[in-house]
Amino acid sequence: MTDRRRINGPSGGTSAPVYSKYLTKDASDLDRPTRTRAPNVLRKMFLKTGVTPSASGSAYFELEALKNQKAVAPGLASLSTSGLKLTCTVHGPRPLPKSAPFSPHIILTTHVKYAPFATRKRRGYVRDSTERDLGVHLETALRGVIIGDRWPKSGVEVIITILEGEEDQWWGDDRGRGSSGSGDWGMMTVLSGCITVASAAIADAGIDCVDVVAGGVAAVVRGSGDIGKPSPTILVLDPAPSEHQEIVAACVVAYLPSRDEITDLWVKGDIGHENQRSLLQTYSYEDLADNAVQAALGAHRVLVGALKETADMKIRR
Amino acid sequence: MSRHKLVKNLDLDDEMDDYDGGDDYADDDTEENLRLGTIRVREELPEASGHITDRQIQDALWHYYYDVDKSVAYLIKEYMAKPKKEQKKKVAGGFYLFFPTLQVHGGELSSKACSKPFSFAEFFKDTPWLNVPPERQAVFIAPLYPRGGLLGGSSDGAPKMSKLQALAAARKKKAQEQKASESSGVEKPMAGLSLNESASGPSVGSEATEPSSALKQPSRRFPLLKRKDSKPHEKSQKAPPHVEKEPETNDIPMSISPGDLDQAEPSAFASTMFNSRDRSPPKHSANLFTLPYAATATPATTDPFAGPSPDDVVTAAQSKVASGKGGKGPPKTSVEKKTDQIANGVEALKIDDTPKVTSKNLDVLKEFEQKEKKNEANFVVIGHVDAGKSTLMGRLLYDLKVVDQRTIDRYRKEAEKMGKSSFALAWVLDQGTEERTRGVTIDIAMNKFSTNKTNFTILDAPGHRDFIPNMIAGASQADFAVLVIDASTGSFESGLKGQTKEHALLVRSMGVSRIIIAVNKLDTVAWSQERFDEISQQVSAFLTSAGFLPKNVAFIPCSGLHGDNIVRKSTEPGLTSWYNGPTLVEELDNSEPITRALTRPLRITIGDIFRGGVQNPLSISGRIESGSLQTGDALLAQPAGEKCFIKALEVDSEPADWAVAGQNVTIHLSDIDPIHLKVGDVLCSPTSPIKIIKEFTAKVLAFEFLTPMQIDVHRGRLHTPGRIREIVSLLDKGSGAPTGKKRPRIVKPAQLARVIVELEAAVPLEAPARVVLRSNGATVAAGLLE
Repeated sequence: MTDRRRINGPSGGTSAPVYSKYLTKDASDLDRPTRTRAPNVLRKMFLKTGVTPSASGSAYFELEALKNQKAVAPGLASLSTSGLKLTCTVHGPRPLPKSAPFSPHIILTTHVKYAPFATRKRRGYVRDSTERDLGVHLETALRGVIIGDRWPKSGVEVIITILEGEEDQWWGDDRGRGSSGSGDWGMMTVLSGCITVASAAIADAGIDCVDVVAGGVAAVVRGSGDIGKPSPTILVLDPAPSEHQEIVAACVVAYLPSRDEITDLWVKGDIGHENQRSLLQTYSYEDLADNAVQAALGAHRVLVGALKETADMKIRR
Repeated sequence: MSRHKLVKNLDLDDEMDDYDGGDDYADDDTEENLRLGTIRVREELPEASGHITDRQIQDALWHYYYDVDKSVAYLIKEYMAKPKKEQKKKVAGGFYLFFPTLQVHGGELSSKACSKPFSFAEFFKDTPWLNVPPERQAVFIAPLYPRGGLLGGSSDGAPKMSKLQALAAARKKKAQEQKASESSGVEKPMAGLSLNESASGPSVGSEATEPSSALKQPSRRFPLLKRKDSKPHEKSQKAPPHVEKEPETNDIPMSISPGDLDQAEPSAFASTMFNSRDRSPPKHSANLFTLPYAATATPATTDPFAGPSPDDVVTAAQSKVASGKGGKGPPKTSVEKKTDQIANGVEALKIDDTPKVTSKNLDVLKEFEQKEKKNEANFVVIGHVDAGKSTLMGRLLYDLKVVDQRTIDRYRKEAEKMGKSSFALAWVLDQGTEERTRGVTIDIAMNKFSTNKTNFTILDAPGHRDFIPNMIAGASQADFAVLVIDASTGSFESGLKGQTKEHALLVRSMGVSRIIIAVNKLDTVAWSQERFDEISQQVSAFLTSAGFLPKNVAFIPCSGLHGDNIVRKSTEPGLTSWYNGPTLVEELDNSEPITRALTRPLRITIGDIFRGGVQNPLSISGRIESGSLQTGDALLAQPAGEKCFIKALEVDSEPADWAVAGQNVTIHLSDIDPIHLKVGDVLCSPTSPIKIIKEFTAKVLAFEFLTPMQIDVHRGRLHTPGRIREIVSLLDKGSGAPTGKKRPRIVKPAQLARVIVELEAAVPLEAPARVVLRSNGATVAAGLLE
């Protein structure tokens, strides 16, 4: 479906032209960001609740931007990589419209939308399949947390706007390979952020939950080895797709720490078969999920900190 | 004696003497009683009670009605306990100035100042205008408002409360305060304790609470998770030396080191957003000019425990050392080199996109066998224009209660308004406005009904010669056919010359072998048996020549308009006298179940493309020709070659998880642009895709003269222009072996021939497909692809 109601910007990024005299031979590879964190270190998060006064509950979430310490070429603003920024509003619980059929529990609706400017490739105004997919995953993650029986005949809407998305791959790769190469890896981090921020906003709205759910991502990545001699795969927490040459598989979980439960699990990619694993010393899907849980625990700490801060502020006032 | 005299005689002085000091107990015996009482009270009172005057004692006695004990008790209580207050009360008799919530520091209100009338000038005497010294400033103590509403919501201002709510809140608060004052001794330190624990920093706190929660709820574990320890990292944190002893593999211990500060400072964007709300001043970035005296002032941290504790720093450093050691990995062995090769191979593999909708991975065939209760059959209704096909089917549906009386009545009324009252029943199937105004069927109409043996799908084909392509599309979905013949005088003859014949030939060439002939409108010829026999003979002779076996042909006399012999047996004496056979529905029921090509690869020809609603922007409908499918399956659209996924599935306009060959399905697709699909395209399984061809050889039966000429190739909804490039040979009708000379110039009608057809555009076609060749609006040949 094409959007004919608005005048849309060009679908691709609009980077300023780079003239050849600035380009040395391997300039592009020099610029390639690499992971400077240890494999087990998450990017720092910033989470704040109560940002939208008109909503029942709201939260804002961001991941710190990548630091490109090797930037030698003249920096182009459009090529800078920055972190994830999400804002979430929760409306409700509010009564269902009269026309809606009776529901013995709360009806949860989730909307995830990329802002048109959120990614390098411009997004449409109409929700596409990726966004609907994220919405479905988010709903699954939250459904297991909210105690829905306490609000019969009511509905709650969770609306997330992605102000700045995670890139699916490094911009240099996507120039070379075209659109086919990327595997939507950025979606995984976005989903994990969505879960965390929605959880914060729901807590801010005062909706009863069994626990605060936090999202976490882990991935099996192949480092940038020499050509023809790939480096072994390693397991990292909170992967930034632009920092890795290739992501073999990734896993998102929505995890409830105090109950040790997972409400949503999404694994993407292929690690390989059992017999291959023994040779390659790679990881099993269970390792992947376990580590995603650890990432979720990290996010949970920030989440609890942010909620505490808001609660303190409210009580002190 | 009058009252006046009494008053006059009153000795005022005498009276005033008697009245001693304004006291109202003037009697002598009262005085005596008081005196005695005073003596007794004095005896009772302790030594130190000297300062109590007689007057006070007498007052007490008077009030307690000479009860000595009570008076003594009162006196002791009143005057012995706080004798000083008593005195002070005597001294300061002036007026008091109360400032209930306003405490004024500094300026002492001396009793001297107060004894005078209060003057504000005096009060503010040494207070300067402006710059009031802090000690003189009033301190307003904010009233305690009840904390109402939920946490969160609109963050400025307390939520609005109704009066009733406010009252309830106030009462609750009062009760709480009372409770707090009662139990403060015990509970307050406890509360402090718990707060301290939870506030002891995010990293430490989570660790401290985790084991206890794990202990509390061991049964809450996720049962499928085969982890020995649900918190492997926690464990490794607690025993860092243990981690250091594990560098035999090249994987890095994945624990989040406790020293990590996960909470980031807000970015420039975020701090702009929340600046107005932040109480603490924004952090100055390094390149901004800072005031010299402000530079040293560090912004107050909102949470003193946000940073890592000293312990955490140490553990972080330890774990970093551990990971550095572990990360190096052993040198490469020959096995490792081999694995590298495999890794290369793995890298070369392209990761296939996972389906967006999760498949339930059903064994569709098994499900189908389990579910199968009734037969499914599709039949196409064919015949010459105005033979009464739609009316016959409308009557069928009406009598089977698929369409209710009200709808029919409405159609009757509307049809009468248009002056076509006899078309009312046909409108059940002819829904389009154009179809209704013209009174002819234009496109295939589909409807369903079920008898107790079989679920039927009606495909009502248009009879008019202009709409033959639509009829072919309908016939391609049918298992058998109902041929409707107009029995009225003249109509049958014109029909046999017209579409009756062509339709019969077409359905035969589309692979339909069973045909039921409904001899319609027999009421117009007074149910004449001679007419029926005449028609039967002529039609069966023609059908046999067209290739139908006599046992697969059945004749039924009926009347669509009146409903005789369709669902109910006719009661017309003209008919019952000579016909006692089955009704149309009974005959339909007799059709044996058709075997489906369930195990062959999936093929669906798209019959229609539409927007299935907001949720399903792209939907197609069609009949599954072979194979099976289920929700979440990947499909390949040919000839576009685009991959798509089944988002949802409807069989007979009800949601389903799977469908098999022979069913008419509506498929909601995802991940494909509508421009890649058009009516007549084929959806197939990506593992065994249908081939796209531009040329094919076919064995055809000629209806007209065939020469190398321009033709239209029809297959179901698909039709494409092409030409007969070559006539390979004529074939023997019985054996199929080539006869006559090679490469004949022409094929005569009713001859069998093998031809090579060249198409203008590549289309998806496969070997056992039946095609119809048409030219200039007439069917010239039909046959089988080879």
